[in-house]
Amino acid sequence: MTTEKIHNRQLAFILFIIRSTVTIATLPVLTTGTAAQDAWLSAIFSLVAVLLMILLVGGLGIKFPEQTVVEYSRELLGKTGGTLIGLVFLWYFLNIAATEVRIYAELLNIVFLHRTPLIFLVSSMVLLAAVAAVLGIETIGRTADALIFFYVFFLIASLLGAIKPFNPVNLQPVLARGLKPVLSSALTPAGLAGQYLVLGLLIPALTAPRKGVAYALLAAVFSGIVLVLTTVAVIGVLGPELGNSALFPFFSMTRAIEISDYLERIEALVVIAWGFGVFINIAVFLYAGARGLSQMVKIHDYRPLIGPMAVIWVILSIHTHENLFEVKKFFEPRSFFPYSMSVVILPYLLLWVAYLLRRAGREGEKYREKRPREPE
Amino acid sequence: MKWLSSLLHGKRSRTAKKEKTKDRAKDFTDRRLDISEREAAVKSLALTKSLRENLNIIREITGNPGDLSVREFKSGREQAETALLHLEGFTDNVMVESILRLLGLGSFEAPVGKGAGPNLLQEFRRRLLSSAETKEVATIDELWNAMTNGYSVLLFEGSAVGLACDTGGYKFRDIQEPTAEMSIRGPRDGFIESFYTNIALIRRRIKTPSLWLEEFTLGSLSRTKAGIMYIKGLASEELVQEVRQRVSRIKTDAILGSCYIEHFIEDNPFSIFPLLFPTERPDRVAGCLLEGRVAILTENTPFVLVAPMDFSMLLQAPDDYYETMYIGTFLRILRYLAFGASILLPGIYVGILTFHDELLPAQLLLRIIAAKEGVPLPVAAEAFLMEMVFELLREAGIRLPRVIGPTISIVGALVLGEAAIRAGLVSPPVVIIVALTAIASFTVPNFSFGIAARLLRFIFILLGGVFGLFGIQFGALLVLIHTSSLRSFGYPYLAPLSPLIFRDFKDLFLRIWQWRMHTRPLLLGAREPVRQPLGQRPRPGLEEEEKEKSSQGRKNDYRKNP
Repeated sequence: MTTEKIHNRQLAFILFIIRSTVTIATLPVLTTGTAAQDAWLSAIFSLVAVLLMILLVGGLGIKFPEQTVVEYSRELLGKTGGTLIGLVFLWYFLNIAATEVRIYAELLNIVFLHRTPLIFLVSSMVLLAAVAAVLGIETIGRTADALIFFYVFFLIASLLGAIKPFNPVNLQPVLARGLKPVLSSALTPAGLAGQYLVLGLLIPALTAPRKGVAYALLAAVFSGIVLVLTTVAVIGVLGPELGNSALFPFFSMTRAIEISDYLERIEALVVIAWGFGVFINIAVFLYAGARGLSQMVKIHDYRPLIGPMAVIWVILSIHTHENLFEVKKFFEPRSFFPYSMSVVILPYLLLWVAYLLRRAGREGEKYREKRPREPE
Repeated sequence: MKWLSSLLHGKRSRTAKKEKTKDRAKDFTDRRLDISEREAAVKSLALTKSLRENLNIIREITGNPGDLSVREFKSGREQAETALLHLEGFTDNVMVESILRLLGLGSFEAPVGKGAGPNLLQEFRRRLLSSAETKEVATIDELWNAMTNGYSVLLFEGSAVGLACDTGGYKFRDIQEPTAEMSIRGPRDGFIESFYTNIALIRRRIKTPSLWLEEFTLGSLSRTKAGIMYIKGLASEELVQEVRQRVSRIKTDAILGSCYIEHFIEDNPFSIFPLLFPTERPDRVAGCLLEGRVAILTENTPFVLVAPMDFSMLLQAPDDYYETMYIGTFLRILRYLAFGASILLPGIYVGILTFHDELLPAQLLLRIIAAKEGVPLPVAAEAFLMEMVFELLREAGIRLPRVIGPTISIVGALVLGEAAIRAGLVSPPVVIIVALTAIASFTVPNFSFGIAARLLRFIFILLGGVFGLFGIQFGALLVLIHTSSLRSFGYPYLAPLSPLIFRDFKDLFLRIWQWRMHTRPLLLGAREPVRQPLGQRPRPGLEEEEKEKSSQGRKNDYRKNP
């Protein structure tokens, strides 16, 4: 086992970046739901889902501070069950991260590099992530440390820029159609909370694993705030209709920003921040995936797995979806939420049950052991 | 058959030669002796009791060079045969003369007869103690080492031990202002080529006896002195041990400069970033030692290496500390920006003009396009070419004799620059960008880091020209991944930035007031984190302070719990 450690702060940064990047990338609240101008409410709801998710994943994680989810699931559910769950998680990592690179590459392709083949953009991003993953989680944590400044700066800059074209009328009327569309809109971002699955693999790498959940919650709250703010900004600037139909709502919003005659193109900042985010995102997922797989097949070192995995990711991200509209369809609440939940929540519920049963059993044993001593 | 194979392979002849050296170990005029064989033979030679034989051996080994001065005389009342050996240019002639006078006058009463070499030695030793440091040498190797370190060696008839007296008086360059790291308000002394002068320069700044020095001799032929200096009890013992181990592990024939040592001991030899900090300034080294770092000194080099180093050290200039806090901070941030520009600016320019010209404000874009009209080359080639020309000029400027120096700048700036633009070969914006980059790159205080930045610049031009801003981002991330995985002697390279240590930000982008810098760097100064007590903000005059003290009686709180 590697003895590489990351600080809890770095974990918080990583989780914050991962979550906020989804926000910048797709802003799924708007593009997939029907909440329209109430989308920011959905963002708040999705935050609740995220927090629950962290408690579910992290809560079990700190019960086994030395082990990754792959290891303890094998302990709890037996060899076959554990391996199966590990495979499911691995697939989820692959799927989400591949989709995310794809979205990023699509944006670059559409907006900046029209003639560059998609596979080139995807593979160069995955290559970067693979380099970082080979160097280890420590390096990824440190890059997150260094990038967080730029990232937050770019976010704040684009949000501040949105103040001028902001039109509060766009946010009205509040809750005109009741809560139902709001809730349905919250499903996709809530489903994306499955990303916090990495927590199950990162907790044993923390310097203080027991406090990991607290840091994760903090990161989730902050990224939730970012999600709400960006949603408000997008609706306020673009209006609910355009915000709903745009492919990259946040990006379109920053395009609308014009600070003065000379500073009218700050969308480049967003793309750069997005690139940073995607990089951290895939690097962590690649690391977590390789680490999990190496434990599944009982290889000491995860590094040799990264090369082949990276290649598979590139292929997957090119071939899972034909085009951007299919990607969008993939994130539709009706299909994505059940998929995400069944992949993440069900196994975890199973693990929890197994854990609680085992603990109950153990306590019963303790109780039985103790009882004869009591009379003495 | 034998002679044939020996002709073909040369193997046989070599073993034959070895056999030969064995029985003729002392024939150093033998032309077939290779250097390692000579060295080994010299190592095994001890001094004999016969003065004549000793002198002969020394002459034979060294080839009797002109700078080896051997003075034979009869010393003491007994008129004992004595010889004084020293190397010209290594010793102070006045001191040598005084030794000669002391011994040659025959004024002391020694119980010396023939064959009483050791007694004579002791007597000489007692006599000489007042004038010079002495030590005994028993082998030819020791004798020669002593002589190359400025000692004069006395050999006596009848004694197999020689007496080396320190008469060191090398000629060295004077202590001058360091040329590579200038400072306006700081001290003007810089390291020179002399080992002990350099140590003295550091010790003058840190006078505690806890400033320790460990010496090594490196290089089997060059026998260069090297030393590591640290503050005992402040520098982490593991770090000192690591440095000691890495330095003493070096096995080579010669160390001709501190960079030789650097190449042997750095953590990642494939990185283009320097992992040891070379500096010419004693104040810089002293500052580093006080943070818990270790200095590595080398003879014959005015550069001292500091380990471990972190990235921020490269962009700290001595003047930051000698100016007010605001100026220091401003200059430092300016330097960070300039450094970023010196790496990225040409690349970004090329990237934007090639792929994303819509990012520029319309007016600016129109101007640039108008200026570029008629230029036959693509932007990337243009920028690459001009950067190359600039590198050429810079390299030529360093190599040229000082008298011709100005000529090259005139040729470069006026003839090449002006004419190239007039002829429409390059566009003025590119020249501006290249010039800006050049100026920015000169703000980096560390020269060897400037070189790394130069290489990166070319790579970024290439990336920008081929993949636009995406390429720039790709490159920047790659550099970031690489640097954040780097370690210098186990300490993270990007230290206060990643891993984030907010406490050490006081000396990263900021340069906070000296009274506020009360802690040492977190990772390095872990043995004693607190440098000075808090609460030393300049206060009103003493009298008022006294009054305050008597009225409140709580001024000294900080001393109790710093």
